[in-house]
Amino acid sequence: MTPALAALLSHPAIWRGGDCAPEPAALSTGYAALDAVLPGGGWPGRALVEMQVAHEGIGELRLTLPAVARLTRDGRQVAWVAPPYRPYAPALAAAGVDLARLLLVRCRDAKEALWAFEQALRAPECGAAFAWLAESDERRLHRLAVAAREGRTLGVLWRRPGVTAQATAAPLRLALAAREGALEVRVLKRRGGEVAQPIRLDVAQRWSTLPPGAQPPAFGPRVPVRPVRPDPRTSAGHAQAQRSPRLRRAAN
Amino acid sequence: MRWIALLFPSLALDVFARALPPQHAAAPLVVHEEGRTPRVIAADAAAREAGVRDGMPLSAALALAPGATQQPRDVAAEEDALARLATFALAFTPAVSLADGAIVAEIRGSLRLFGGEAKLVAGLVDGVRERGFAPRVALAPTPLAALALARAGAEAAPDAPGGLARALAPLPLAAFDVEPATIATLEAAGVRTFGDAERLPRAGLARRFGRALVDTLDRAAGRVPDPREPFVPPPQFASRLELPACVHDVEALAFAVHRLVQELAAWLLARGLGVTALTLALAHERALVRHLGSPCTHARFALATPSRTPAHLTHVMRERLARLALPAPVAGLALATEAVAPLAGRNLGLLPGSEADAPEVPLLDRLRARLGEDAVRLVLPRADHRPERAMRAPLPEACASAWPSAPAGDAPRPLWLLARPQPLRGLTAAQPWVLREGPERIESGWWDGHDVRRDYFVAESPAGEVAWIYRDHRHGTDDGEWFLHGVFA
Repeated sequence: MTPALAALLSHPAIWRGGDCAPEPAALSTGYAALDAVLPGGGWPGRALVEMQVAHEGIGELRLTLPAVARLTRDGRQVAWVAPPYRPYAPALAAAGVDLARLLLVRCRDAKEALWAFEQALRAPECGAAFAWLAESDERRLHRLAVAAREGRTLGVLWRRPGVTAQATAAPLRLALAAREGALEVRVLKRRGGEVAQPIRLDVAQRWSTLPPGAQPPAFGPRVPVRPVRPDPRTSAGHAQAQRSPRLRRAAN
Repeated sequence: MRWIALLFPSLALDVFARALPPQHAAAPLVVHEEGRTPRVIAADAAAREAGVRDGMPLSAALALAPGATQQPRDVAAEEDALARLATFALAFTPAVSLADGAIVAEIRGSLRLFGGEAKLVAGLVDGVRERGFAPRVALAPTPLAALALARAGAEAAPDAPGGLARALAPLPLAAFDVEPATIATLEAAGVRTFGDAERLPRAGLARRFGRALVDTLDRAAGRVPDPREPFVPPPQFASRLELPACVHDVEALAFAVHRLVQELAAWLLARGLGVTALTLALAHERALVRHLGSPCTHARFALATPSRTPAHLTHVMRERLARLALPAPVAGLALATEAVAPLAGRNLGLLPGSEADAPEVPLLDRLRARLGEDAVRLVLPRADHRPERAMRAPLPEACASAWPSAPAGDAPRPLWLLARPQPLRGLTAAQPWVLREGPERIESGWWDGHDVRRDYFVAESPAGEVAWIYRDHRHGTDDGEWFLHGVFA
């Protein structure tokens, strides 16, 4: 491309198919590979993001923690509306979150949670608001998206997959899944061209640093006959024919 | 000097009528004196239309207006109301005094701040009207002249040399603080107005009627100073509002609450304070009180930060009242402060428009007003090895920064903790899980009865979920049960 053409194409009035829409208040996610595919190079500072998570415990929250940590330390509030479990303070503090700015909002029903989420999105002192809602009404989601835009707040709506077929009012929609020890992020929707390849991010902590080639021990509760100490070095093969544990959302 | 006098001719009526919005005041209202033959001392427009006049026996008034609400005069409430209005006036000028059922205030020093006399007077009068009182206003260079003009229902004295004397001349002497006996004697001599008295020789006047009359004339004309005792707002705020009729309707109640909040805001402003906790007591009808046992329904409001913005306070209270179940109709309200904190004034912006971003109702107060006092919590770490005790969830009152917090250990900790460890037995899957890290022995708490002895592991499910699980060794064996305790979200 000649320099003259490049200069012409860099004109702000020209928008090319592969480009992303300008994002004025992007917050870096803390993961360079993810920043590279998000418009503006990070989480949108004033928009709703829809996150589809098939299973809990794959590192989905850790993906957002660098942004939460920076917002709280800048003096902005972050509200978590109706989280499914109790956020564990020592882990959050270790991630650098200023816990005096993290508000946990407990709601009695979905209607209250929806209201609280919208209030948080509209509040000027709130830098980000997360909500765990089973909401699927398109008009309500649109209302939330407008609230995030007007309130200049990063809104993150955690949802179950399976709603991909529905249209969404959120300008950014990501699907998260665990794949081979890493977090796989697929960009389902963004303001810009499509992202064909999923991004793989290493959000895992220390335990994934087992020596290469080491066989991780399998685990399963024993039939209560003989005590067995589950030592990670020796307990390989403790897999039971009996029922193994499976994560499920706890009644909180 | 420029003094404004606010006179309240219908104060006896206003203290009752102001609790209800105008559209609710359908029944005529009559205020009477108590005694063997009670007489009407004030009647509202509806009662006057029916023919009720001041001084009429109450029985006659009730015959003319059969549906009228009758209230005995409440002098204490009137004095209270006057004090509240004076508190409100302190928002406009620091020199406010009470004078015999009226308020006088010096406003020259505040004209520049409020953008001129017309704007200041309009702001003051509108505020008083909004509080449900009908003032009669007059302005003059001396407080006594302003009072006399207001009593006589005259216009403001022009702020020009000689203007005061011309404005005061036609006023009757009764409008000044002159004794009735003196007035009667002077009237017999043909001296009726201020102008007549001013034309008399002063030495003779002083000899005949005493120094007081000449002094009054001098003070009114501004020839001698007229010091006034400044009004000091009360150190505590407690205001009550009697409703003329019992109210079942939350909307009508919200109106009365708004009135009280305005008074509170004026008091806070006058004392340079912001409120952090308030109590609203709703008094129920006497007949029902006995049945229900409790004379009042109390509602307590806590705010995240000291505030004196009426919109903020009203919003918080309205949200709460909407959810309040009233056991009985409400006959009166009382609002009192529980905790206040100093709150500095806000500087006006240098450029126009910069005051547009006035603080709204903080998110925390919005959420707590609707969802309940304890719906919003923080999580803070606590020094304990037991995971379920290693944090606390305080109310977000003190919003000091918690960063940096105590250094965390390097052992993995999950972001989600289950409220109660869940036995793994009940959670089944077809495939085994993989232990990624562990064991980490946590053994603590033998001294307080909540002792734990656990081996924690990081485990991964076939679907890739990473969880924090432990084996319970509390009973001394190596054969304890497995529990799920956290999720590495």
